[in-house]
Amino acid sequence: MNLHNQLDPISRRAFCERWASAALGVTVLHSLGGRSFAAEATAAAAPTGPGFGKAKNVIFLQMVGGMTHIDTLDPKDGPTQGPKAPIKTKADFQLGGTMENLAKQADKFSIIRSMTSKTGVHAAGQYVIRTGYEQRGTIKHPNIGAWAQHFLGSSHKTLPSNVCVNRQPQNGNGFFPSSFSPLPILDPDVGLQYAKSEATPDQMVKRLAMLDQLDAGFRDRFKTSEVKSYTQFYDKTISIMSSTDLEAFHLDDEPEALKEKYGKNKFGQGCLLARRLVEKGIRYIEVAKGGWDMHNNIDDGLEEHGAELDVALSALLEDLKERGLLESTLVVLCSEFGRGPKINGNAGRDHHPKVFSTLLAGGGIKGGFIYGSSDKEGMAVADKQTSPQDFLSTIGWSLGLPVDEVVMSPSNRPFTVGDKGKPVMELFA
Amino acid sequence: MKMRLCLPLACVLLVTGLQADNEVYRTWTDAQGRKLEATFRGIENGNVFLQVRNGYVYRLALDKLSAADQQAAKTLKPEGLGIPSDPNLAQAAAQIDMLVEAGLKKAAQKPNPLASDEQFVRRVFLDLAGRIPTREEALEFINDTSLSKRAKVIDRLLESEGYRSHLFNYFADMLRMADVAQKARFYTYQDWLKGQISGNVPWNKIVQTMMTADGKLLENGATGYLLRDAGMRLDNLSLTLSTFIGANVSCAQCHDHPFADWTQRQFYEMAAFFGATETYGAKGNAGGGMQGVRKVIASLGDRRLQQQAKNLVRVNALAVEDSSTNDLKMPDDYKYPDARPGDLVAPKLITWSDDKTKKAYQGVQTTKHDEQLREQFAKWMTSPDNPRFAMTIANRMWKHIFGLAVKEPVTDLDDPAASVNPALLHHLANEMVRLKFDLKQFLRVLCNTQTYQREATSHELADNTPYLFPGPILRRMTAEQAWDSCATLVVGADVDKFKGHRGDTYAKAMNIDLSGGVSPDVLKGQIENAMASMRQFGGGKAEGKPKNRKKRMMNQTSEEDLTLAPPVRDGLVLARASELPQPEKDQHFLRMFGQSDRQIADSESEEGSIPQVLMLMNGEAQRVIGEKDSLVVKTASAQKTPEQQVESLYLSFFSRKPRADELATAVAGLGNGMTMRDLTWVLFNTREFIFVE
Repeated sequence: MNLHNQLDPISRRAFCERWASAALGVTVLHSLGGRSFAAEATAAAAPTGPGFGKAKNVIFLQMVGGMTHIDTLDPKDGPTQGPKAPIKTKADFQLGGTMENLAKQADKFSIIRSMTSKTGVHAAGQYVIRTGYEQRGTIKHPNIGAWAQHFLGSSHKTLPSNVCVNRQPQNGNGFFPSSFSPLPILDPDVGLQYAKSEATPDQMVKRLAMLDQLDAGFRDRFKTSEVKSYTQFYDKTISIMSSTDLEAFHLDDEPEALKEKYGKNKFGQGCLLARRLVEKGIRYIEVAKGGWDMHNNIDDGLEEHGAELDVALSALLEDLKERGLLESTLVVLCSEFGRGPKINGNAGRDHHPKVFSTLLAGGGIKGGFIYGSSDKEGMAVADKQTSPQDFLSTIGWSLGLPVDEVVMSPSNRPFTVGDKGKPVMELFA
Repeated sequence: MKMRLCLPLACVLLVTGLQADNEVYRTWTDAQGRKLEATFRGIENGNVFLQVRNGYVYRLALDKLSAADQQAAKTLKPEGLGIPSDPNLAQAAAQIDMLVEAGLKKAAQKPNPLASDEQFVRRVFLDLAGRIPTREEALEFINDTSLSKRAKVIDRLLESEGYRSHLFNYFADMLRMADVAQKARFYTYQDWLKGQISGNVPWNKIVQTMMTADGKLLENGATGYLLRDAGMRLDNLSLTLSTFIGANVSCAQCHDHPFADWTQRQFYEMAAFFGATETYGAKGNAGGGMQGVRKVIASLGDRRLQQQAKNLVRVNALAVEDSSTNDLKMPDDYKYPDARPGDLVAPKLITWSDDKTKKAYQGVQTTKHDEQLREQFAKWMTSPDNPRFAMTIANRMWKHIFGLAVKEPVTDLDDPAASVNPALLHHLANEMVRLKFDLKQFLRVLCNTQTYQREATSHELADNTPYLFPGPILRRMTAEQAWDSCATLVVGADVDKFKGHRGDTYAKAMNIDLSGGVSPDVLKGQIENAMASMRQFGGGKAEGKPKNRKKRMMNQTSEEDLTLAPPVRDGLVLARASELPQPEKDQHFLRMFGQSDRQIADSESEEGSIPQVLMLMNGEAQRVIGEKDSLVVKTASAQKTPEQQVESLYLSFFSRKPRADELATAVAGLGNGMTMRDLTWVLFNTREFIFVE
């Protein structure tokens, strides 16, 4: 097997290509990083403006379960307040009482306090905040990492451009080829699954040599793109296994003190891994954190999960800043919805999509800035309503994606980054 | 590689009209002087098989032929491969071949050569039984010298347990069958469909039953189709139309279709047939009993129990019911002048411009009773006269067997003329009707065609070249075929034995009577019993306890009774994919190899990825296949010489013997420190293993 095989784009989607060429008489063009699906219109003149293309990488922190905005990013007083009183920060706004460390980093980020979503159902809400589209039974929509790979190409020669930590990929590639799918890292301490062979290097060399020989007849006989594509995946996988790039996934190489600083839990270590991957040139990393569905005893929930978030996010921002990576790395924090102002009978808060908050940092985003607001109770949007689509378009803008460009799916339906949302320009410095 | 006839020679052999170009006709005479123009298909057990021009195959006793023809029958080389099991079947298959070959001829293309026995047996096992043959099954076929062996193995596989598994997998992807939806288990739905397949219930009946099913999910699995999308009837309808009649309407759900005929209004008019169908929190079912239920729940000690009881009630409330009024309204953002947002919509069936007879519409749309709307719709949709229903399933089954449909995508048959071979597509639709929607019989015809029994196409199709079926296409195994083949390597043919049957158990455990006629005490008893059984099914996970129990059982018994529990190796439950969780969890072999997540219809993927290849190279499957207790290793190890061992492995993995150079390479490897384990790793990781020729 030729390990030095020039790696072609492995972006051919067998199905689409096959029926397009066989049945429709239509050529669907693919190319690495190019606009691999036929764009409807000729590309509009490249957009420009503040912040456009400032981010080379994105770390997308998804709080699963519905993060209470009132106890974290949009604190209130009075009966709405919750278990802890708001605290002062380095900037001229307050944060929820649990966000002690984040308060010291407030000069590095902006908060949108006027997010609103249409659904109070977890899975549906998570899908919308990740893709900008509602779930359908007929198509999957891509996450921003897949959109970025479509418009900008691969971010690394061997490693994937799209990674998700502490969560399954769940078709993050959407209607794009599966090579755009996020590579899942289910446990940051373990790293890439199945990356290690049980065979000794010597044994492996023999196996691979024999594999190459015994399969040669078949490969010669069937020179179809599907067979070639598999051969390329094997080549690419073997080159990853035998390259030093895999070190990107080795958290053990990080100093113990730093690991402690991020917090020795899956989310903390996931954030640390995300920073390592950014350093290695991986463009898009999602890190998920569960535990936010705090219907009961929100006090306990915040003590555990609020604190984990506070520690990890502030360590991440500080670390990126120290390494000079914050300007080129957009860090966002979001959730499928917020939680209601009312403390319920179980000392918890219930789902509240009507208003909630997200946080953005780096990648040309202003520091110490609040965009929009909720009303006095944190019940509804008071000013500058912002949708998940606007939020995602803002991320796309920061990455330098043509957010207005219509892309046709293989089933010939039109889609855009963030479903025609408007980037929030005031967030950019 | 392949010798092709050069053009002038091929022309000589061509017979005019719709004839297969490899057939040679001669005039046969029997002892009484009667004549028959036919091609010689072979001789077996004293009978001569002669195929006439319309495809029908006559079986004549050899001694009834004239002396000269008896001599000819003994010396002539048979045309084509094998003898179909009955003359009508032979004719049906031949008609399809003629249409395919006519299509090829028009494009000046030739069919592929006929596939070898080795290629055929592996393919037909994968296509009908969903797994590779074992070494013994492959050898049995290869060593069979009878002319009718291909027809016989097709018949055998259509009656096998694997047939049910494999077709279930196809429909499970098409229908998005998931264990969990609406926070309930849809096991009864799965069991119902499996029962329909093994009973070979005609397709029009299956679909009609799904469309018109009433009652609780726990009591009537067929309600699963509508309940899968409870409360989302527009999405459900969109899928119904594209899945069963190839009407590409998904755009029309939100706006007029930009290219096809469908308007948003038409979409809503179709949806109105389900406007009186309740799928969301069945009212009548829980009805009067709800108050009692609430009281009982409130009386339960702690909140967790209350929550469980609520879940239980929700599962029991999942039901399909008809109300007396169609309440479907135009959407709030309706923007066309022919109706206003919020207008009530009257049901109206779509028509196709190429449907001149309109037969399917007769007797429909006369009812004044809204509760019968669904029945009307189902009757129209599944009618043999519906211009797209038979065509859609025929086109789908063709794809199931040949790897590509006559009209792609299978969800859009709005314009059959855009198919690569419209005559073939219409013929297949007519065949489906003639066979009364008997899927097994339809597949039997397809597999008996020479078209199916040809070599897979080996070259890359040039862009813009329609695929005219010179043979099946080369395709990667589906996730289920690959998984079931792995399990076959480890366990052998017995892998087909285990069946899940989770529906009965689940329904028995969960079903409670909420009709209101029961006393609070009885109700409380019911709820508590059901909650106790519920725990047995584990929290939110489809697997869990039963698996552990099986594992324990396996360790205790040396004799494995595979009908009771599948073997477990290295955490892998070696049962057919159809009997495992639907879909499997994300990191399972099946999912990493492309099993649909059952969120999107027809979304099985045959693409590779880095995590997938890492799994193939370093995951559990390769390890389990290479262990000493794996059947493929045991069988090979029992052979005496390294040559025989390698041959055994080749037969197990590829259903063929190794070529001389392959044998030499593998034997040299064994002499050079490589183990049986290494060899199984190598064969498992070849493209040849995961592709179907």
